Amino acid sequence: MLFSDVAKVYPLPAGDVRALDGVSFRVDRGEFISIMGPSGSGKSTLLNLMGCLDTPTEGDIWISGTRIRDMSDTELTTLRRDRIGFIFQYFNLFPLLNIIENVTFPMMLKSGRDVDPERGKEVLRAVQLDEKLFTHTPTELSGGQQQRVAIARALINNPDILLCDEPTGNLDSKTGAGIMELMTELNRNGTTVIMVTHDQNIANYSRRTIRISDGRIVP
Amino acid sequence: MIFWEIAKRNIRLHFLRSTLAMLGIVIGVVAIASMGILGNSMVSMVSDSLSSVGDSVIVYPYTGGGGFHGGGGSSDNLKITDQQFQQIKRVVAPGIAIPVHSTSERMKVGVSKDYIVASVYGIDPQYLKDLNFELTAGSLNNANSGCLVGSAFAKDNNIKVGSRISMGTDGSKGTLRVTGIIKERGMSFDISTDNAVIATQDWFEGTYNTGKYYDEIVVKVKRDQDTANVKTIIEKQMNKRDKVVMVIDSKATLASIYETFGSITAFVTAIGGISMIVAGVSIFNIMMMSVNERIKEIGIMRSIGTQKKEVMSMFVYEAAIIGVIGSVVGGILSLLAGYAISALMLQSTKYLWTLSTVSSIAVGVGFGIVVCLACGIYPAWQAANLNPIDALRHE
Repeated sequence: MLFSDVAKVYPLPAGDVRALDGVSFRVDRGEFISIMGPSGSGKSTLLNLMGCLDTPTEGDIWISGTRIRDMSDTELTTLRRDRIGFIFQYFNLFPLLNIIENVTFPMMLKSGRDVDPERGKEVLRAVQLDEKLFTHTPTELSGGQQQRVAIARALINNPDILLCDEPTGNLDSKTGAGIMELMTELNRNGTTVIMVTHDQNIANYSRRTIRISDGRIVP
Repeated sequence: MIFWEIAKRNIRLHFLRSTLAMLGIVIGVVAIASMGILGNSMVSMVSDSLSSVGDSVIVYPYTGGGGFHGGGGSSDNLKITDQQFQQIKRVVAPGIAIPVHSTSERMKVGVSKDYIVASVYGIDPQYLKDLNFELTAGSLNNANSGCLVGSAFAKDNNIKVGSRISMGTDGSKGTLRVTGIIKERGMSFDISTDNAVIATQDWFEGTYNTGKYYDEIVVKVKRDQDTANVKTIIEKQMNKRDKVVMVIDSKATLASIYETFGSITAFVTAIGGISMIVAGVSIFNIMMMSVNERIKEIGIMRSIGTQKKEVMSMFVYEAAIIGVIGSVVGGILSLLAGYAISALMLQSTKYLWTLSTVSSIAVGVGFGIVVCLACGIYPAWQAANLNPIDALRHE
C-alpha cells in the first residue's frame, strides 16, 4: 500500500478542514503496523482511506498496484470485499445471523451464492473459537469471543490487508492480549496487519508505528 | 441467498409490526377484489335479465318528450300509421319490419275468480319466427283465437298449453286459448314476453278496433346490416320535416348500459383502492423504520464489501414478502368477501364462479404486490445510498 502526498479536505460552512495533509508512506506485504495519535489527529480519516471507504482530495493511494482514485463505488466495494479485512472496536457482527453465517458472509458476497459452512468452521477453528458456539448468535458470545468471530469474518476471503480499528478497545486486558497474540500469529503467517490504537502496550505488538498529529505524520 | 434469509429473519424478528402491515395489504386487496367481484356480478346479473337482442331496431311514435318509451303500450292516440310502416319496411330491407300492437288488459285464467293485469301484444303470426321466440311447450302456430304466453306469466298463473284466458272485464274481449309458452327472455327492448300474452294481429285489431295503427315497429336487421345505420336510415326517412318517430338501437343501448355498469364497477373498485393506498403508506412507514433501525448494520455491510444493489435487494425482499403474503391471503379472503357481498346485496352467488371474478382477484393481488414493492423501493434505495462512513458511526 502506497500513500503519496495524500490530503483529505472536508468542506464545512465555517471553512475547509484539512483532516489529512501531505501524508506519504508505504506499507509492504507482511508488515505489522500500528497507527497512533491523539483524538482528532486524523487516524479515522486515514483508516477510512486505507479501507477504500473514502477517496483522497489530493494525492494518490495505491493498493496492490491499483490506484483507488477515480474508481467507481462498485469497484471500491469489490476491492474492500476481496482484498481488505475489517476488524472493528465494537465487533460489529450481524445480530440476525449465527456465527457461521457471520463468518461466511463476505464469502457469500464474493461467490454470489450460499457457501460450504465447512470453510467458515475451518477459519473459526483457526481463531480458536469453541466449536460449540458455531451455531449461536453473536449476542450469546462474550466480547473476546465476538472479536474472534469478527477476525474470522475478516479473514474468510484471504485478504491482502487486515485493517483493525482499536481491536482490543472494548476488551479487558487479558482478553485483549489473547486477541493480539492471534493477530501476531496471523501476521507471522503472512497477513499484512494495520492497526489503529492509542494504547502503547497494544502498539508494542507491531513492528512499526506511524504517529500522526494534526493530519500530518510525525517522525 | 443470504439477503433473502436476512429479510425473512427481520420480518420474523418484528413479527407484530410486519403482520399489521400485511393486514393493511389484506384489507386493501379484499376491498379492491371484492368490489370488483360485486361489480362484475352486477353486470352479469343485468346482462342475464336483459334479453341479448343485439339485432333489433325499435321504432316508436314520437311522444314529444325524450326517454325510453316502454313496450307496455301508449294509451294516447300517437300511433304509427300503416303508410309509415310501409315506408319503414321499404327502407330497412333486407331487414324485416314487424308491426306490433300493444296494450295492457285485465284478464282471468281458467276458472280463477281473480283478475290479473298483463301486457297484450298483437303480432301477425308470420313474423313470430323472425322474433326468435323459443318455446318451452306448444307451437308457434297461432290460430286467430290462440295466443302465446311468457314463461313467468304461465308459471305464476299455472297456465299450460290448452289453458283458456278470459280477456277483459267479464270476458268482454273474448277468450284466448294458449297454444305455446315462450321461454324466459328477460327484459327486452322490443317485446318483453315474460309477463305478456301474444295474440294475433287480426284478433287484436278486431277486438280493440285499432285498425292499421301500430304501437311500435320492431326491425330485425340482417347479419350484414348495422343497427346504427338502420337507425339513421329510418330517422332520415321518417323525420324529414317533423319528428314523427323515435328510433332505439338495441345494440347501442345495451352497450351504453354495460358501459354504465362498467363505470360503476371501476368507481367502487377505486374506492377499494383508497384502502390500498393507506396500506401502502404503512408499508412505507415500516420499511423506513426498518432502514433507520439498521443504519449501523448497513454501514458494516457496505464496509466489508456489500454492493449497493445487494443492500437494496435485502429491503426490497422484505417489502415483497409482506406484499406477496398479504396479497395472497387477501386474494383468498376476497373470494369469501365477494361471496358474502353478492349473497347480501344481489341475493345470488351464481355469478361468483366466473372469469371476471378470477380477474378481479388477480387485479387485487397484483395491485397489492405492486404497491408493496413501490412503497419498499424508496426506503431500500435510501438504505443502499447511505454513506458507509456515516452509517458506521451511527449509534
